Amino acid sequence: MWELIKSNQRKSIFLFLGMAITLVLLGYFIGSTFSPDGGGLFGVSIAIIIWTVLSIISLTAGSSLILSISKAQEVTPAVHQQLFNIVEEMKIASNLPAMPKVYIINTEAMNAFATGKNPSNSAVAVTAGLLSKLNRDELQGVIAHEISHILNRDTRFITYAAVMLGSIVIISQIFLRGMFYSGSGRRYGSKSKGGGQAQIIFLVIAILFAILAPIMARLLYFALSRKREYLADASAARLTRYPEGLASALEKISECTDELPSANKVTAAMYIANPLKKKGMKLSDLTSTHPPISERIKILRGMMHGVNYSDYQKAFSTIKRSSSQIIPASGLSDNSAIPLRESSEQLKEQQSAIDEKRKMGNIMMAVNNYSLLTCICGLKIKIPPAFGTNKPEIICPKCGNINKLELAGRI
Amino acid sequence: MNCPVCNQPLIILELNRIEVDYCTNCHGIWLDEGELELLLQNSDEKNKLFNSFLIDNKSKEKSVKCPICFKKMDKIICGDKNKVTIDKCRRQHGLWFNKGELISVIEMGSLDKHDKIIKLLREMFSYNLS
Repeated sequence: MWELIKSNQRKSIFLFLGMAITLVLLGYFIGSTFSPDGGGLFGVSIAIIIWTVLSIISLTAGSSLILSISKAQEVTPAVHQQLFNIVEEMKIASNLPAMPKVYIINTEAMNAFATGKNPSNSAVAVTAGLLSKLNRDELQGVIAHEISHILNRDTRFITYAAVMLGSIVIISQIFLRGMFYSGSGRRYGSKSKGGGQAQIIFLVIAILFAILAPIMARLLYFALSRKREYLADASAARLTRYPEGLASALEKISECTDELPSANKVTAAMYIANPLKKKGMKLSDLTSTHPPISERIKILRGMMHGVNYSDYQKAFSTIKRSSSQIIPASGLSDNSAIPLRESSEQLKEQQSAIDEKRKMGNIMMAVNNYSLLTCICGLKIKIPPAFGTNKPEIICPKCGNINKLELAGRI
Repeated sequence: MNCPVCNQPLIILELNRIEVDYCTNCHGIWLDEGELELLLQNSDEKNKLFNSFLIDNKSKEKSVKCPICFKKMDKIICGDKNKVTIDKCRRQHGLWFNKGELISVIEMGSLDKHDKIIKLLREMFSYNLS
């Protein structure tokens, strides 16, 4: 397994270096605009300083920062016991050193992500929509996918890369806006006669580069995150021994059109499926943080005979008609046949829309500490925590009975 | 979530799996996006009702803010004969009904022939209606 992680990291290092070079060049050209001799080096150091500072911040506060940006709330097993059981199962199956913290995001959209510095200090977050619409097998597939990201050290790597992308965007934005509002850089150039020509050339290059760098960095960042999705899918199939679970979860996620309001371009790469999809819009392959979902589903369903890494690679090659190796050689050499397991539950009848809505509402309310009160007439009253501070009682709108709030039990 | 009219926390009422957000102070009702569709499951009735929605710019009713995004909501006129003005979030977060408006809207134009929903809602608020 270590070999797998190493190899995955080695491949990504090239993409990562590409981003680093973009950042350094950007600093150099911008620095040179202001003073052709020595300015370039100064620009490079500023760029590196910005990146270092942001990296330190993201390393120390990274997980909590990402979780709070995504509006995820940490929950106890009482809120959703099944989710905790599945996370624990997958933690044991994957040999993770510590139980990840579990977060729920209060939204109808269906998505999930993992974050964390290292495997012993990690977190998984799922949306309430996901919990209400997936059955146990599907949820297990999604959690296994997220745990694989933690195990493969993807979460840390993506954090670094996201920060680097952020730095590049910040630097070029400051430069471009600065140029725009100060009129032009020529004010400085006209003072020194000798350097004038060179400065104008550098200025043109810098402006071009400042426009192109964020685009290039973004493409590299997207390529980086796409590669990791396939490996995480393969690991998830192996962990659960039931690729159909993840496949049908992905299918449901792709059918869901609710957008995740708290996701942005940079955090998008962390989710199991691209959270920024629009209705009826097909993202082109190049600018997508994730491989096309339909392809991931086909590959998972193509694993007819076993759930080993080599089975995933075989399915991948057949469906993509490409010989590119998603799984490193060491993973393929492990030929111990791991058979598929049976589905853990009979195909349930399709849940009605109301059931789904209620189930999700109850999860959201449990996360937010609502109290549940059933009036003697049978009306269920759910009370937000903020309510109790204002009024001690609720008059039932149905029967007029006065319900004292102290008697209300927690859900 | 707070009541857009009196800013008190809304409570949630559930009877026979129908769930509404309710203000104990002004007896108004908030329906999240999609909840009205759940209430009226028959698609013909639903379409008839939604087609009758008409934005009213000249309404003199005091405008209220969406309890989710805190942006001003549109006034919507429903129905042809007995017009009722309700509030609708411009960003599709949901609908706000002042006291009694929800029942009027559902009753309107014999939307609900079986009267199941109306009976349920009447039952839910029987004490307040009397």
